Amino acid sequence: MPENPVLVIGGGPAGLEAARGVADLGYHVKLVEKAERLGGMPILADYAALTPNMVNAEEAMGEMVQRIENDELIDIRTSTEVIRASGSAPALEIGLNGPGGEEDIQTGGVIVATGFQHFDPGKETQMYGYYEFDDVITLVDTERMLKAGKFVRPSTGEAPKQVCFIQCVGSRDRQIGNPWCSKVCCGIATKEAIEIRQLIPDCRVFIFYIDMRMYGFWEDEIYWKAQEKYKVNFIRGIVTEITKRGDQVVVKGEDTTMGRPVEVPMDVVILSIGMEPSEGTKKMGELFQLPSTHGFIESIGGALNTVVTSVPGIFVAGAAAGPADLEDSVSMGGAAAMKAAAFLRKANLRVA
Amino acid sequence: MSIYADAKYSEVPVETKQALFDEVKADMRYEHQLYGCYECGICVAACPSARFYDFSPRVFAQVMAREDVDTFYELLNDSVWDCSQCFSCTRCPRQNNPGAVITIMREVAVNHGLQSAKEALKSYSRIIYKIMSTGTQVAPDMLQPDFFPDWGPDVKQVSENLDVWRRCVPPETMHTTELAWDVSEKTRLELYMIWKLTGNLEMIEKIDEGIFMILEEVMEELLEENGYDIDDFENLLEEDEE
Repeated sequence: MPENPVLVIGGGPAGLEAARGVADLGYHVKLVEKAERLGGMPILADYAALTPNMVNAEEAMGEMVQRIENDELIDIRTSTEVIRASGSAPALEIGLNGPGGEEDIQTGGVIVATGFQHFDPGKETQMYGYYEFDDVITLVDTERMLKAGKFVRPSTGEAPKQVCFIQCVGSRDRQIGNPWCSKVCCGIATKEAIEIRQLIPDCRVFIFYIDMRMYGFWEDEIYWKAQEKYKVNFIRGIVTEITKRGDQVVVKGEDTTMGRPVEVPMDVVILSIGMEPSEGTKKMGELFQLPSTHGFIESIGGALNTVVTSVPGIFVAGAAAGPADLEDSVSMGGAAAMKAAAFLRKANLRVA
Repeated sequence: MSIYADAKYSEVPVETKQALFDEVKADMRYEHQLYGCYECGICVAACPSARFYDFSPRVFAQVMAREDVDTFYELLNDSVWDCSQCFSCTRCPRQNNPGAVITIMREVAVNHGLQSAKEALKSYSRIIYKIMSTGTQVAPDMLQPDFFPDWGPDVKQVSENLDVWRRCVPPETMHTTELAWDVSEKTRLELYMIWKLTGNLEMIEKIDEGIFMILEEVMEELLEENGYDIDDFENLLEEDEE
């Protein structure tokens, strides 16, 4: 009797790597993705270049997709959602809803890789006016422009002369209820700052931050590079409000290391919005009755076991478990694949 | 335009500030003295001047690394003179050398005869004169009670019979009162020519014309008496360059 396939929910970096891993270990995979395309957030949100190595997002994710596309063991279902779950692994009854209508399948195990969503800057408690001022944008809006090979002031279409990033928007904030660090925004903002300086050499770029969290090699490969080669101005201190003056927006804050008040007009302000659990992550958490932490799916092993949940046969990978960079996500995808395959193998041995 | 709401020197055109900044940055020593700044304060913690003055080597490192020309101009006209040039600040994890950046900034301030340079060096004119004319710095006869009241009553006693006190010092080369130690005329003249030919005398002219004139008058006369012709040396240097 062939085993039931492993259901991988989500076709982003973690899900793609999980699907590949399970298939490489010789087990069947059903890869379900809500969107029409595989690739996850880097593709759906039009990322230009990935952090930290600045590789083209389309190409890099395209390679990941290509590796699984023609694998006989992997059944890819795009535009499909998981709507029901009952029973228990290794014989879970799952209801899918896709282009061909509803369908019931049986799976041996599940890897939840439903990822994150970007924080909605309309929910911040400072006064940044994202929905009020054209020239206040987000990291994601910036990616979209960079992907099109340009960076302009949305209000005029002209190249800006002075740009700033504001870090930790929607992260590390008790007032908003998101006490976590989103991990990647420091790196992404710094990467985008470099790209803006490359595109527009006479544009001054500032990054207002609380701490710069540049883990491992991000330190010298992006942070030092931005400071030393591209003269990006890192200013410790967070902007409290943005107001309109003439055709510019003025940011007001404190340079805390200098102990001086800052008030400076900008052509574009970029809000470094963080990560929140996606709708899919919240739904799958409820559907499979997975305990959560900070709204993300909780793994039970802490730092030493990042992918096992408290429900047997259900694993989590990537940003569905909490803020994660690409390295985290892909590593967790691989780890979850190994755990899911091991779960199926042990179950089969017991049956035999 | 400065990013700071409390900016000073906003009346000075940005071109002026930028030109001075560019001059500092163009110095051949600059590029290996400053990378990026973490603003961690390790240099301030190590800095003796920072304990006594409102002075911070970190501020120099961060402002210069950010290329913030407005704040650079504030520093150039103010706390650039509060550094003791001890280079304790070089224990920086980014391998910055704020003290060396300050050295370059001071030279630019002097070369442009900035008011801050004139004021900072005003009280040093006697020392400048001594060094440039003799190669020795603080001479015994400079230790006068009027200048150093905090040294107590002994200074008065010593200064009254300075010559005798100095003769109590064993080495003969230190039986001097106008110099820290005996310097031969040849050494004095050669030193003076080094100051002159390397452009140091010109720097003094920019910040303290009085001292410059006295130095020139005294030393050129001495040169003449001893049969030196400064032009010979200038010609020699030019030949070397060619």
